[in-house]
Parts: sequence; structure tokens; C-alpha cells
Amino acid sequence: MAQKLLMGNEAFAHAALKAGARVVAGYPGTPSSELVETVAKLRQDGEAEGVHVEWSTNEKTALEVVAGAAYCGARVLFTCKQVGLNVASDALMSLNYVGVEGGTVLFVADDPGPISSQTEQDTRRFAAFAKVPVLDPANPEQGYAMMQDAFALSERYRTPVIVRPTTRICHASTYFDIDADEGIGPVDGSGFRKDPKWVIFPKRSFEAHGEINERLGLMAEEFSDGELARFNPVTQGGSDGAPRVGIIACGVSYAYAAEALDMLQRRAAQEGAPMPAYRLMQVGTPYPFPSKAAARFAEGLDAVLALEELDHVVEDEMLRLAGALRLPLHICGKLTGEARDRGENSVEDALSRIAAFFDRRGGENPSTSADEGEGAFASIASSLIGPDALTAYPDALPARPPVLCAGCPHRMSFYAVKRALRKREAVLCGDIGCYTLGNALPLDAVDTCLCMGAGITMAQGFSIIEPEKKQVAFVGDSTFFASGLTGIANAVYNGHDVTVCVLDNATTAMTGSQPHPGTGVTLMGEHRKPIDIEGVLRALGIECVITCDMENLAEAQEAASRAIDFEGPSAIIFRSPCVQLEKPDPALLVDAERCTGCKKCITEIGCPAVGFDSSAAGAASGNRGQAFVDASLCTGCGLCAAICPFGAIGKASGEEKGAAR
Amino acid sequence: MINVLLTGVGGQGTVLAAKVLAEAARSKGWKVRTAETIGMAQRGGSVISHVRMGNDGEDVRAPLITVGTADLVIAFEPGEAARVLPYLAKDGVLVTATTPLQPVAAALSHVAYSADDVIHGIEDALIAHGCSRDALVAIDDASILAAANTNRKALNTVLLACAIAQGRIPVSVNDLKAAVTACVKPRFKDMNLAAVDAAAASISQR
Repeated sequence: MAQKLLMGNEAFAHAALKAGARVVAGYPGTPSSELVETVAKLRQDGEAEGVHVEWSTNEKTALEVVAGAAYCGARVLFTCKQVGLNVASDALMSLNYVGVEGGTVLFVADDPGPISSQTEQDTRRFAAFAKVPVLDPANPEQGYAMMQDAFALSERYRTPVIVRPTTRICHASTYFDIDADEGIGPVDGSGFRKDPKWVIFPKRSFEAHGEINERLGLMAEEFSDGELARFNPVTQGGSDGAPRVGIIACGVSYAYAAEALDMLQRRAAQEGAPMPAYRLMQVGTPYPFPSKAAARFAEGLDAVLALEELDHVVEDEMLRLAGALRLPLHICGKLTGEARDRGENSVEDALSRIAAFFDRRGGENPSTSADEGEGAFASIASSLIGPDALTAYPDALPARPPVLCAGCPHRMSFYAVKRALRKREAVLCGDIGCYTLGNALPLDAVDTCLCMGAGITMAQGFSIIEPEKKQVAFVGDSTFFASGLTGIANAVYNGHDVTVCVLDNATTAMTGSQPHPGTGVTLMGEHRKPIDIEGVLRALGIECVITCDMENLAEAQEAASRAIDFEGPSAIIFRSPCVQLEKPDPALLVDAERCTGCKKCITEIGCPAVGFDSSAAGAASGNRGQAFVDASLCTGCGLCAAICPFGAIGKASGEEKGAAR
Repeated sequence: MINVLLTGVGGQGTVLAAKVLAEAARSKGWKVRTAETIGMAQRGGSVISHVRMGNDGEDVRAPLITVGTADLVIAFEPGEAARVLPYLAKDGVLVTATTPLQPVAAALSHVAYSADDVIHGIEDALIAHGCSRDALVAIDDASILAAANTNRKALNTVLLACAIAQGRIPVSVNDLKAAVTACVKPRFKDMNLAAVDAAAASISQR
């Protein structure tokens, strides 16, 4: 038995293999990506023999691949981020009606904040909409247990099961005891048996809907009183006696609440203030809601505070329960303004919310007013985390949002297109990936970003209403295969005059460099012939397709001009590998004699490796200050050198200045 | 409970540093949790790694450090140190690199971005808050890296060593060396151990 530091997503992978997952498929997306990568790595290391693992072209593809395998009786795992389930939802909705043979688990990672996503949608809601059960772990260890139980649950009821962690579970690490010889569970399915039930028809759907309703009722019972009820634990704390207040929490908010209660208790003891007696419940199976367990938790309570991220799912369930059972119970949470209505929760937030809740509801004579000045617990919370308890930097700091990397080829692509457009009015439609960062100043090259693949199609909508403008769509290579193809076909079929720029950096960069159909590299170790993007575009009927290898700015600009000037749908493939995967060239240097301090190298492209030193002086700059290149970041791409009007940026020595690349 | 907060700019190597600290805690039999910034912010944005160690045998519940409770803050860049000041415990120690990475926003504006100014600002804030004068340790990271004859890839090891050498948490420089050896690829081992030595030497000479 070896102790291993595992990130939540790695632990989920180990758990799925231990449970006998035979087919694992997904599409990358933060915070979910490491699960599939871990399975691939374990397989490569010989620890997951017989397992098929793949990055599918998109989430819908992945879910349908695993569904087929599950019909054969194999245990299967699908992974995606929360918005990925939107793409796979068509398959999911019907799959639940058809049912599965082998355990089918959907690992869907939610992103409160959001930290790296377009929406703060709540997969617990999606589960209720799709009428499939969902498990919501409070830490990686519980997630490890839930993942294993999810397969058996799926087989018991022939239903897909969603395991839905959030970022702070996926990307939190702790040590696990992993037995090297443990191997993986049974991986064989019984084989596909033909049966009319596999073909979805309205009549069958009506019957299936009844079966779904019935099994949801049974699962709710099981979540209250069966073995899985252990994921809905109730504890009691604070002073002795019968509690009148309770806290119900989900996911990582349960850990936050537990820690906040400990902090409050310690400080209250120091100050001789009695904590109220309270109950604390975790809801680890939010749907179907374990009503019986929740009713036992609520028994005798006057008020319950719901702490959960994203939507008020458990808060709603408690309101429903209180109504159905006619309980004299105040349900406090997002709907009453007593919990955060969006974004991430935290220990700090739990501390102040619980303190306010105790002040209002925890005494012998609970007050009904929301603001009666600072109560005893609020004052304790403030002594721990209030402004007086903390130090802070007094001045404003320049923001440091994510940026395109130094040397990123996307920067040159965007800049080349902008130069090619000159003064022509244009709408620049972006998409999902690193290149969304092209919207930042000074590049300002992304006017829209909606969802995967939308740049190509939205540009077409713009072109209908504003034909006098040029519409340019930027799409990454992975996104192109995931959801760009139908949009290209639409542009050709309906004759939309747009220019599509495929930013082909030979990887799925934003999510951590995953391969895709355009690379030919698979997670099974095979290298296939990469699907040729230029060939695909031509085959779909785009007549003007230009491939540009990004040797220098002038060539890139020329390629952009040709495609932009073409009448009818056109495409450019800007081809240059991701700078994260390439060995950098030597850093460039600013010539202190020639730099005039004009800042053009900064204000045109915003490369993080080019800074400005206002105290630098030189022959050409006087006291204006000068640009400098941070050698620890510069990859020597030469874009700034190509832009400098004075030839002041070049290779360190022995090379002609201003002539880099 | 020991809370160590690491902060820097995406790409600087806080994730590996957090792993090394986790390994040091594990080798002492402590419970440990870490939490990382993974995703968009890794592209040159502000990043934070949280390391929480249950050194008294206690369980670690939340993966994130609460403001006002970090025993050690290790900053890979001075501006990022300034940003996370609210996390520092009143008796905590802040160890920061002094080499700045100028944010693009600063390069575009006409406001100067100076490491000296930022570090003085931090110092003033700590003193105003009633912290000890030893609460801020500004590290001349460039000199230490030069002394260790290595490049900025070893910055994370240098800062870890400087922070551990403060003696603020019960993890020794030898514990750190063992953890570094366990965590880095074998071919980088010697370079990183040399970085630990150079860093520890620079602290003992202060």
C-alpha cells in the first residue's frame, strides 16, 4: 500500500478503474480534464489493462460512444465540464429513457466562480431536468467513494448516474492509500443482446417515463435509509440540548461550514459566549432528494440555513419539504439573501453567514428582523475575518488577468488579420479556447464569444444584417473538430460571406495540451494520420482556403488579406505549434541606443515579455523611458521586432537587429 | 494547523512547490490538503496554491486557507505578494521574491510598476497592522539563482528554502531536501538541491 498525493480528478480516475470502468471517453474542459488524462497515463503504465480511453471529438460523441459500450454491459465513464453536458444533453435525455445495461457514470465538473467557464450552471439542476441521480462530494475522499458506488447504483436501477464535483474538489489534492497490485475490477460486459427496448419510440418512452418516476422514488428512499445514506450525514454540535437551528450544506460548502463552525466555537469559548445547539447535514445526493433523511434532520428545528454553490437546489427542496410536511421552519439561504447568490463560497463567507444566522435564529427568542446591528456572533466573526483583523496593501495594484503567452502564435494571427483589415469595418467573432484572450487590450481582436463553435455561425448572422462589414471568425483546431464543421457547411450551403481563421496550434491548449483529431495522436498510444483541416475545408466546399505557416508577420498579413478580399466563404489556417510545447528561441533584446520609447511594441500587441521602464534613458529616447524584454518570458518569436519602426529590438548578439525571423 | 499560501504568476511553478510541501508534511505523518489554480489563470494570470497541514494530528477540512490564518506566505513575485496580504496571520511570515514581472496592464499604462515601491508598501502595511519587523522577508532571488548557478526554473525551490529557513513552521531544511528529492525528476535533483543550499546559505548570512 503506497500513499500517493492525488488531485481530486486523479482520485476519481483511480476509483472508476477500481470499479471496473471498461470504456472512458470525454472532451477536455476545466475543471474536468485530468480524469481522462490519469486513466490514459495509468493505462500507459500498464495499470489499466483492457481499458479503452479516448478524447472524443466532443461531448455528445463521447457520451454516445460510452452508451454503446454500456448497452453491451460494460461499465463506462463519460467526462466533461458543466457546459459540456449541454452538448451531450441530447444523448443524455434519451439515454435515461432507454436505460443502460453496464454501469454508466457521467462525471460532470461544475465551476463556481466561474473560474474558467462561460456559465455558472448547476449540474444538480440538469440532473433533475434529465431525471437522473446526481452525487455531490464534499472532498476528494468522498468523491473516490461516490465514484465507485455510482457504477453499482447505475446498474441497480439501469439509469445513468451523474457524479458532479466542483473545482475545489477536482483540483484539491490529498494523500490516498493506493495499492499498486490492486489492479482494476472486472471489465467484461455480457455482450449486446438485441431487444426492442433499445430503439426509442414514443410508446416505449411513455412506459419508460413511468419506470423513471418509480426508480427515482426508490432511489430517494435509498439515499435516506440505504447504504448510500452515508453520503447524507447529520451531526450535532454547539451547546448541549435540543437544537433549534440547523445548517444544511452541499459539496465543498459542507467543508467550509464545518471549518467555520469550529472557528466560531473556539473563539466563542475564549469569549465565554455559548454556541447554540445546532445540527449540520451534508446532502451528498441532492437528486433525487433524500426527503426522509432531511425530515429527520429538520425535526424540532425552527430555522435551517442552506449553504450551497451555484443554484438554490437544496434550499428549494427544503422549502418543498417544509410545505409538504407543514413544518414551522424558516428556510434561509440564497432566496432570502442570507447566502451568496452566485460565485464560490468560502470559509470566510460561511463564517459570516452562520454567525448572522446564529444571531438572528440561534437565541431563545429568535428575532425576525434581518438587521438589528451587530450581534454577538457577527462580532466574533468580525474579530476573525473583519477588516481590522487583516492586513491589506493600501494602494491599487495593476490587474493581472490571464493573457496570451509570450510568443503565442495566436497573437501574430490576430495582429495580421487586424492589419489586413486596415480601416475596413469588421466584426471579429471569437470562440472557446486560449484565443478568447485575444479580446484583451491592446489586441482587442475578439468582439464576441458565446459557446463552442459559435464564432463561425454567429459571423454568418452578422453578415446577414451587416453585409457592408467584414465578418471574421476565429476558431481553434480542437474547437474546429468539436463543433466547427456544421457551421462551415452552413456557410457554404447558405452562401454566407465570412472568413474563418483556424488557429491551428496542434493541440487543445487552454485545457492543458490534449491531442485531437487534427493531431492524429490518441490516448491508446496509436498515431493515426491527422485529419487535414485544409482538406476538410475544401471538401466542405470552401473555395478559398489559405494555409499560412506563420514564418513572419508579412506573410501572415498577406494570407489574411487574400482570404478577407475573397468574395464568398473563405478560410485561413494559421499553423504554428503552441508555444507551451516548443523549445523557445533565445530571448530578444532592446537596443538602448535605438529605442525611442514610443511604446509601439507594447501598445500594438501586449506581449507579457515586453515591459516598459520609465526610468531608462538613451540616445533616441531621452527621458521618455524605454521598452525592455523580460528574458525569462521571451521566446524570441520576433513579432515585437517586426513591429518596431526603429529596428530597436533584435537578437542578443551577432545578428542583425530588427531582423529576427 | 499550518497554513502555507503560495502565490505567483501563472507559469512560475507554484504547483510543484505545493507538492513539495505536501510531501514534507506526509513524511511527518500529517494530514495535508492542497488546492491549486488550474485553468485560464495559468496563462500569465495571478495564481494561488493553498497548502494546509494538520501538524497536531487534526483533520484538515477546507482545501482553502481562510484570510488572516496563513503562517507562511511565499510569493514568487512582489505584486502578487501585495495582492494576498489579507491571508497573512498576524504572527505570520511573508517571504517574497523581489524580481518583478510587469503586468501587461502596467506596461500599457503610464503608472510605473516598481518592485521597491511594492515591497515598501507591504512593509508599511505590515507595520501599520502591528506585525513584527521580521514578518517580511524580501529575497534577492536573482542573486541566489546566480550563486546556485541555475536559471529561473529553480525559483520555486529557492523560495521554498528561504521560507523554510525562517523556522516559522516545524519543517526543516533537511525535510525540504528530502521532499524535493522525492518530487522532482531525477535529472533536476542536483540542480534543485544546490538551489536549496544556496538559498539557505543566503538566509543564514542575513
